[in-house]
Amino acid sequence: MTDSAPSLAKKIARRDFIRKAASGTVIAAMGGGLYAISDHLTGEAKAQSRADGRARVPPGQRVISALKPMGGQAGDPARSSVKIKVHGEVEHPLELDFRELLGMKAVDTRADVHCVTGWTMLDARWKGVRIKDLAEKAGLKDSARHVIFESAHGYTANVRLDEGLADNVMIVWEHDGRPLRRPHGAPVRALVPDLYFWKSSKWLTGIRFTRRDQPGYWETRGYSNHADPWKEERYA
Amino acid sequence: MPEGDVPDAPAKTQRKKKFKWRPWLRALHRDFGYLAVGLTFVYALSGLAVNHIADWDPNFTNFEREFVVEGPLPDDEQQAAAVVMSSAGIEETPLDVYSPADGELEITLETSTLFVATKTGKVYEEGQQERFALRAANWLHLNRGKKAWTYFADGYAGVLLLLAVSGMFMIPGRKGLRGRGAVLVIAGIAIPLGYLAYVGGP
Repeated sequence: MTDSAPSLAKKIARRDFIRKAASGTVIAAMGGGLYAISDHLTGEAKAQSRADGRARVPPGQRVISALKPMGGQAGDPARSSVKIKVHGEVEHPLELDFRELLGMKAVDTRADVHCVTGWTMLDARWKGVRIKDLAEKAGLKDSARHVIFESAHGYTANVRLDEGLADNVMIVWEHDGRPLRRPHGAPVRALVPDLYFWKSSKWLTGIRFTRRDQPGYWETRGYSNHADPWKEERYA
Repeated sequence: MPEGDVPDAPAKTQRKKKFKWRPWLRALHRDFGYLAVGLTFVYALSGLAVNHIADWDPNFTNFEREFVVEGPLPDDEQQAAAVVMSSAGIEETPLDVYSPADGELEITLETSTLFVATKTGKVYEEGQQERFALRAANWLHLNRGKKAWTYFADGYAGVLLLLAVSGMFMIPGRKGLRGRGAVLVIAGIAIPLGYLAYVGGP
């Protein structure tokens, strides 16, 4: 029918265009609305300070409400496969399975985490054991200067010893009251909240204490060796 | 030709045919262009996907659900797992059944894990489904496989350089490097340099 009535076809096409344009505008506006909500979170948090006097939100970060999966090569997700090696500059190297981890002094904590891509999640809840408790159990030697987090498929991340033994640095198996999810490093991952989040290695297999620094996966690919979010140490 | 006539001798002034390199360059550009189509799609699509990794998971769709299994669960771990899976309508054979602590059972499947509170029957399932094509493209782009793929990726980089260089000299004159081509090449170089200058360098 439209073949024989070009003016009608033109009207329908115009109507279709207007409908699609309106839908596009509504979707874009909804996206903008979500961004505005997130921006509101950022604005509120930026007015706050941490106990150590630093700003709650590091520069260049935007607050979001849930962890984002950032990829990586996943390891075995089964808790029965957990064998965390604590080794290197220690008197008694350990190899802990999941039950043995549960048997240690578990800590529930809240920590803000900051991704190098620009998002920050506030007050994330975590459950796990402190690295410093593991270090004590293994008999950390005075010669240790760095902590290397080892993960599936050879991924590593390096942290200075004093930062690796901070009270809020842990290996964790629960997030927000639930078992750690696969995209976030199940069954266990490291948590180093005060450095960019790539230092919090997912699919953790070991903790190695070393005398010398050994830059890890991202650190040898152009990212900062230290990764302090408040100094915006994103890249080398 | 009338009989007895002698044909003219070939003119000494006739020149040797000049080698024309542009048609060869175009042919080279064309064929390497065809060759690069597949890998360009792989690298471009995965580049877009991974570039926005902070906004979405380019490799998987992630899911979670909760449900409750009726009645007391058997003490035996394998039997308890069978009851849970039957209630959930899952027919797959578990990769692993594990009890990390009293009252907890974990059933690991290929794409998800079921966490069961055996005393209450509450089950929490979390898992992920692969975005097959994109994950494969990302796997290639990020060179997760290493080894031989490094050579292909290097070769592709070489082909891109060849396409860029040959592209500049394909057309002579005002639409080529002596006119519009030069303006566009300079613009293409100026964009990254301008950005670097704007952000204050690496």
